[in-house]
Amino acid sequence: MIAPEFFYSALIIMIGAFLSVLRVLLGPTIPDRVVGVDTLNTLIVAGMVLLGAAYDRVIYIDIAIVYALLSYIGTLVIAKYLPGGLR
Amino acid sequence: MENDMGVIVKTMARATIPFIGIFGAYVISHGHLTPGGGFQGGATVAGAGILFLVAFGLNEAKKRYDKNLYSALEGLGGLAFLGAAMLGLSVAFFYNILWRNKIAFAGHPGTLLSAGYLPIMNLAVGLKVFTGLISAMMAIALFRRWRK
Repeated sequence: MIAPEFFYSALIIMIGAFLSVLRVLLGPTIPDRVVGVDTLNTLIVAGMVLLGAAYDRVIYIDIAIVYALLSYIGTLVIAKYLPGGLR
Repeated sequence: MENDMGVIVKTMARATIPFIGIFGAYVISHGHLTPGGGFQGGATVAGAGILFLVAFGLNEAKKRYDKNLYSALEGLGGLAFLGAAMLGLSVAFFYNILWRNKIAFAGHPGTLLSAGYLPIMNLAVGLKVFTGLISAMMAIALFRRWRK
């Protein structure tokens, strides 16, 4: 029923996500943390797709698409804010 | 324009804003079949508005934002929700008369035109959330007390 390969792949993605969380926590400057969060977003999208395949539910992919779009907007807003305010 | 972003971001926004809008409309209109619904789809479409404001700047967004139109549409969304809830008032409040009496949206369960008043309510909530979030975003973006 459930293919275990997708769970193993999601576990590997989770290790990578943990490493990028480490960068968010330890990052000396703010752009380091922003890049860490951006990497974490991409890894979470990959994890969502893999878990959607692991649980054999097609509709979970919709959530991954929404998350990919909105995380892109969030990174863009931070990138606009960082150089010196929103104006 | 001084407060917009570079040409790459603007071109990406031109490509991405219709995609986000269509996907949000999909989430709203399939709210009774897939995860999501009125609030989630409305927030997704409002994400397209945020992307427009961030990519093209405040002056460009101010030209395309009409306060009265968005306020009226938000009220219209709330009234459409209430109207759909009061359709079956002859039996009870929130009685799904469209589905029980097979008037409209009464197809086979699982298809798009099913579930009675739920698609109407999802559309109303989506419209209300979208216009409300855009109004709040524009109000915050126009709030410039700390600089003339």
